[in-house]
Amino acid sequence: MFPWVYGFTWDAGSIVFLGAFFTVLAVLVATLMKATLRAVNDVKLERTECIRWKSDFHDLPAAAKKCRHEFTGEFAHRTCDNNFDCRDCATHAKLMSEHPLVVPENAEDVVYGFTMPLDRMYHRGHTWVRREEDGSFTIGLDDFASRLIGVPEQIELPPAGTRLRVNGTAWNVKKQGAAVRILSPVEGEVIEAGDPQRGWFLRVKPLEEKPNLRNLLRGAEIRPWMLREMERFQGLLATEGAGIALADGGVPVNDFSKAYPRADWDTVMGEMLLEP
Amino acid sequence: MDKQYIIRGVQRSSFRKFIAWMIPWAGLLIFGVYAIYLCLAKGLNQTNMDNRFAFGVWIFLDLTVIALGAGAFFTGFLLYILKKKELHAVINSAVVIGFICYSGAVGVLMVDVGQPLRAWFTFWHPNVHSMLTEVTFCITCYLTVLAIEYVPVILKNRKLREIPSMLVFEHELHKLVFVLAAVGTFLSFFHQGSLGGLYGVLRGRPFAFREGIAIWPSTFFLFILSAAAVGPSFILLTTWLVSKISKKRLVKKNVLMLLGKISGALLIVYVLLKTIDTLVWINSTSPAVGFPAYEFYSRKPFGTWILFTEIVVFGLLPALVLLSGRMRAHVGLLVTAAAFACTGVALNRFVMTIQTLALPTLPFDPFLSYMPSWQEVGAFLAVIAYGVLVYSLSFRYLVLFPQERELSNG
Amino acid sequence: MTAQKNSRYGMVIDLDACTGCGACMVACAVENNIPPAPESANERTGITWMRVYKVLNGKSFPDTQAVFVPMMCQQCEHHTPCISVCPQKAVELDEESGIVAQIPVRCLGCRYCMTACPYHARYFNWWDPVWPKGMEQTLNPDVAPRMRGVVEKCNFCHGRLQAAKAKAAAEGRIEIRPEEYQPACSDACPTNAIVFGDLNDEQSEVSRMAHQKDSFRLLETLGSEPKVYFQSERPWVHHIAEQDFASPEKETVHG
Repeated sequence: MFPWVYGFTWDAGSIVFLGAFFTVLAVLVATLMKATLRAVNDVKLERTECIRWKSDFHDLPAAAKKCRHEFTGEFAHRTCDNNFDCRDCATHAKLMSEHPLVVPENAEDVVYGFTMPLDRMYHRGHTWVRREEDGSFTIGLDDFASRLIGVPEQIELPPAGTRLRVNGTAWNVKKQGAAVRILSPVEGEVIEAGDPQRGWFLRVKPLEEKPNLRNLLRGAEIRPWMLREMERFQGLLATEGAGIALADGGVPVNDFSKAYPRADWDTVMGEMLLEP
Repeated sequence: MDKQYIIRGVQRSSFRKFIAWMIPWAGLLIFGVYAIYLCLAKGLNQTNMDNRFAFGVWIFLDLTVIALGAGAFFTGFLLYILKKKELHAVINSAVVIGFICYSGAVGVLMVDVGQPLRAWFTFWHPNVHSMLTEVTFCITCYLTVLAIEYVPVILKNRKLREIPSMLVFEHELHKLVFVLAAVGTFLSFFHQGSLGGLYGVLRGRPFAFREGIAIWPSTFFLFILSAAAVGPSFILLTTWLVSKISKKRLVKKNVLMLLGKISGALLIVYVLLKTIDTLVWINSTSPAVGFPAYEFYSRKPFGTWILFTEIVVFGLLPALVLLSGRMRAHVGLLVTAAAFACTGVALNRFVMTIQTLALPTLPFDPFLSYMPSWQEVGAFLAVIAYGVLVYSLSFRYLVLFPQERELSNG
Repeated sequence: MTAQKNSRYGMVIDLDACTGCGACMVACAVENNIPPAPESANERTGITWMRVYKVLNGKSFPDTQAVFVPMMCQQCEHHTPCISVCPQKAVELDEESGIVAQIPVRCLGCRYCMTACPYHARYFNWWDPVWPKGMEQTLNPDVAPRMRGVVEKCNFCHGRLQAAKAKAAAEGRIEIRPEEYQPACSDACPTNAIVFGDLNDEQSEVSRMAHQKDSFRLLETLGSEPKVYFQSERPWVHHIAEQDFASPEKETVHG
């Protein structure tokens, strides 16, 4: 194998054969090294949350990845190709300049019995963000997610000082044995943790003076978005064998999983909260 | 019970049912491992191989599973190098199958050699002119590649990807998977060929000996082509089988049809070249060294029927079915044709191994027969049981078919 | 010191003289420390570097004739089938003697060489070698016994060649005298049917006999240039070397 090993000869066969072998070996080692070094670098630069979201987004079913401009009718069909991050999406910027959103007159919208106050912005993972007077953000679960999760067995809120990233983990909940992450709608640093009783979960100080919030849904988008979400939810309940569809016009129950114990809540919550 | 380890959005049987499925296979594996233990502890006298039939059912098994396992490299090649995006639906399954086939083959080879602990000699003192050296180097390298390709599939497990270091490593490794696909293609090309070359170079066995190009006999190229042709068929077949056993839709029909089409296209070329090769061998190579080819087929039970069955029934026939768009659209025909193609290549490997050794070369020597001992069969079964176990675990806890989720939700 | 001339050791076996007594097989086994076969061994798993085939002419009595063909490694000279296939250089063609050497300590036991050999002259150690108590005293100290799981074969009693060379060197000679090196089989043959010597030496008996008209080699058409010749005056025996020998009788093996 090596020139100093007994029996080695410098003939063309040996050179070609062993040359190919050592090249393959070098390529394999280099590939592994490169992947490892990049991974170490990712951990160092705290890219884990970003990578997790990218990977999760990739694995989401197409129905969960619809572009927000499909809700408003600007596209017949469009699947998001930017990981739900409209902040740097050229299509979004262009469409927003062409058709600015109508500012709604009413203070809240009720969709299928879910109350969606319009003084705030919504994230595709069913959290809302409200800008406070001091410039901080309050983050909470929207009416749908609150009822979906109901009374969780466990809530794990991040301590003050934790850095949140858009689409990264905001906090974790456990419900009926299913663990789900709630995605963060904004970038910032946690300054205070709340709880369900207070109606909000986190208060976050933005990192920049004028944070970019283009990824969030607002105003006239909310109603069509919720309608689509309900379609998705009904579809999930139907395939998960609950056998019951949501009644139109009725008031939704406070805790879905109690009302439909036969459904696979792990899957339903994962799909609805964008964690495949 | 193990719900939190199973990927969201897919249905898997209850843990109890899963265990009930695994137990018989585990039992078979234990039986096989006992047979392997006997062979290692007491020696190869536990087999029915002998000085005249020095290769037996194990070598046949190795050649066959490696040919069938070619689906891993070929699917990777088509997906990552030729950008056939549809095959993304089966690539993970193909990697797992490839890994099983190659690790199983290497495992059996380690039992098959008389002094397994000397396996490193081949690396340390390689005879670069031996086809077996090429096979040994390429197969160990390629098994390493498959193991590395398997890692991201494993790290995609729901629990494992919660660990940040695993998550980022999977992400970064997956980005480089095209390098592995390219290396895998290079290695597979050579060892599939060398496995064919193994027999083609046997000057002392006119039944197997073939003329060739440069240092490679024609069997070198035929083995590459037949393995590449049958690899997609085997992926098709296993996907269909897993789908039937698990009662789930795993991939869209167009994926199966594409696999069948690729298989058919390569198979028809293979059948053509194999026919030319056979004719050259009958009319020139074999008689040139004093062995009229008809004599090989005068020994019962290996008459010319075996040649006909290999080339026409299990070669031309499935190739034509797979190439016809109308027949391919019929799942029953598609799967049957794929099974025929796989059988054809297995038969080819059987002929190369068993028939070659059964035929005498000395004119006063008799035709030889050989029946594997239960220990040999046991080791063979161990590989199958090991494959089913690894595949079942992978199917339950990993994402082998990314389309399954979508297909099960409507 | 003058360069030593290379030898090409070979054999001529007079098939008309061979009685099939099997003395060569016994002498070979004793010389080369072949362990006694275990009870479960058969004619296809036992080790017999030298093996005598009995071939009949296929005619019924009273025209029946038999020939005994002693078969061992034919020491192929050209494209030696077993050398190129070995993955780890455990088979070598010795330039000095022309002997195809099997090096058991390097052998992996893959048996690829056995499938490559057209003469079936290679043997695998299917069992651990065991000598009954007391019998180990008879082991030849010049030949290393082999372990389980490796391949072995005739090497023209290479141990004897080494011993002869050592003796010559001790006496200050560079070359050995022909009579100093004879393998055990030719030594033991009661009818002197096996003539052994250097084919490169034109003066030698073996070289003279190899060029005689009734000499032939087995499977000559394969082009491997074996160094073992056979001789017979009977035409039908010549035919067994060719491929037109119809319906052979089942072989029988002595020993």
